[in-house]
Amino acid sequence: MSLIRVENLKKSYNEASGKLEVLRGVDLEIQSGEMIAITGESGSGKSTLLHMMGMLDSYDSGNIYYSGKQINVKDKDLNGFRNKRIGFVFQSHYLLEDFTAEENVAMPKFLATKDFKKSVIDSRKLLKTLDLEDRRLHYPNQLSGGEQQRVAVARSLINSPEIIFADEPTGNLDSKHSDELINLLMDLNKKHGQTFVIATHNQEIANKMDRCFILENGILKETTK
Amino acid sequence: MNKIVLFFLKKYISSPKREWLRFDSVFMVIGIIISVATLTVALSIFEGYETVLKKTILGVNSHIYIFNASEGNLTSQDVEQIENKLQKHEGVENTSALIITPAMAANGNRIKGSIVRGIDWEQQELPSKYKKYVLEGSWKLDAENSAVLGYKLAKELDLKLGDTFKLISPMNSKVTPMGLKPKEETFSLVGLYRSGMYDYDSKFIFIDRNVMAEFNSMENEFTMVEVKMKPEWIERADYIAYVWEHEFDYQYQISSWIDFNSNLFALLKMEKWVIFIILSFLILIASFNVVSSVSTSIIEKRTELGILKAFGASDKILQKIFIGKTLILALLSVSFGQILGVLIAEFLSWQKFFVLKGEVYFLEEINVQFGYLSWIIILGVSMLIVFAAALIPLKNISKLNITNIIRKA
Repeated sequence: MSLIRVENLKKSYNEASGKLEVLRGVDLEIQSGEMIAITGESGSGKSTLLHMMGMLDSYDSGNIYYSGKQINVKDKDLNGFRNKRIGFVFQSHYLLEDFTAEENVAMPKFLATKDFKKSVIDSRKLLKTLDLEDRRLHYPNQLSGGEQQRVAVARSLINSPEIIFADEPTGNLDSKHSDELINLLMDLNKKHGQTFVIATHNQEIANKMDRCFILENGILKETTK
Repeated sequence: MNKIVLFFLKKYISSPKREWLRFDSVFMVIGIIISVATLTVALSIFEGYETVLKKTILGVNSHIYIFNASEGNLTSQDVEQIENKLQKHEGVENTSALIITPAMAANGNRIKGSIVRGIDWEQQELPSKYKKYVLEGSWKLDAENSAVLGYKLAKELDLKLGDTFKLISPMNSKVTPMGLKPKEETFSLVGLYRSGMYDYDSKFIFIDRNVMAEFNSMENEFTMVEVKMKPEWIERADYIAYVWEHEFDYQYQISSWIDFNSNLFALLKMEKWVIFIILSFLILIASFNVVSSVSTSIIEKRTELGILKAFGASDKILQKIFIGKTLILALLSVSFGQILGVLIAEFLSWQKFFVLKGEVYFLEEINVQFGYLSWIIILGVSMLIVFAAALIPLKNISKLNITNIIRKA
């Protein structure tokens, strides 16, 4: 059974110039442990698709199944579902400014378990794995861009989610930090079988993934070589 | 409290950014402090006034008054009968018969209407405090025709200790060839009485009861018997008076301090609540700042809120965090407002530039008292208003669209 199955997903926005159809019927199936890249031009709907698959946004029609079970964005316990089963990494790190790196990483676990001590212990372990142990008590503004994004990756991993959606994770990084981050994600995939769906402009990054897709005119096509 | 909310609140308090010092929070804090301080000043002065007035009225007057049921005075036999019976009552502390009459006090051209009280000053303890309030001169009325005057009356008559004045009683006028001649007698001022009650200090003259009986031609007659009750019986004086009236077979008219003053205290209580309600509107107005502060804070923190929502924080948790932050700030502001209010009220009672008009308010000094009940009521009402105001913008949290936030940020 696939981890995620997306069926005929449609999404449009009403704009001043008229109705803008972003997704015109997207179908996608993702198996557990896969690394998938979604490419496309700016405004093609990559982020929209990721947000909908990550249950952050609603869609006009279509269905999304997680392990065969249909999930709707209007479901009551969606917060809990997102918290436990989905991880996010955004283009910007979106770390909470008033919290240290280890508190930021611990946050999703703390929200799920209400056990701050345990969450912080797990957070420290993760930061150690990502080679950020000495930065754990630093606030986001005391970290470099690469470190901030690595902390954001650690945060997305803390609840051991089934899948992590990474929306242009390297968009704000220079090439060195960008390579480091992609290598980190691939490493996590290899070692822990972590499933990733990465939206990116960068074809070089896309080529490193198990499968590649391109989103054009609201239609998703597989381009895996 | 929810552990997550508690954690965020701790972070909020200890945050090096001192979020509560933000521009709009400062206005919210100042608004609450000023309104609560105003309410506290008004209530503490009112409460102080009520307490001191009650204390003074109970201090100056006795608690139960026994008169003859018909128009005449009490005789010695009546007094004996009354005192014999009342001495056996467990609630009675002491009793004393006295003569009271209106008279004119004159010093040269100055003439003032007064109330002359002929008292048994030698009695160890009188039902109405007398010795305690004679603050200058002597309370002893043993010298011939000696008198103690209310200090305001003495001032209005321009009398000093040792001076003499005339007491004129039109009640005992003599028929002469020249017409009715009121009875006159000269008294010397031996002491000044100061109770704090304007009415008493500007009207009362105390003289020896026997001298008074002679002056008023009331041998073996008394105007009334005053009764002082033990403290635990004071508030039940009206009921005791009612029972005694029945026990004396309605031979005497018996009234209590409650009968004479209940309207005044009921009015004061009502006025206190009216003032409280009116001034609570100040807090209501200050709560508009709470709405604006919480709204601004939600707008400022929308990215953080969006991220927390994305990672699984429910709207309820986020709303509780905002409510908690607002209530912490409000609690500090209200408490500070109360302390400031009490300090201002204490200053008002200490200063001497502004005093009450005694002829209107009975007391001239501003007295302050701030009880636990008032403290709790102000705190409770203020927190309730702030809480209600903070709820208004909180529904915006559930309207936050995570994807919009992430895109715009």
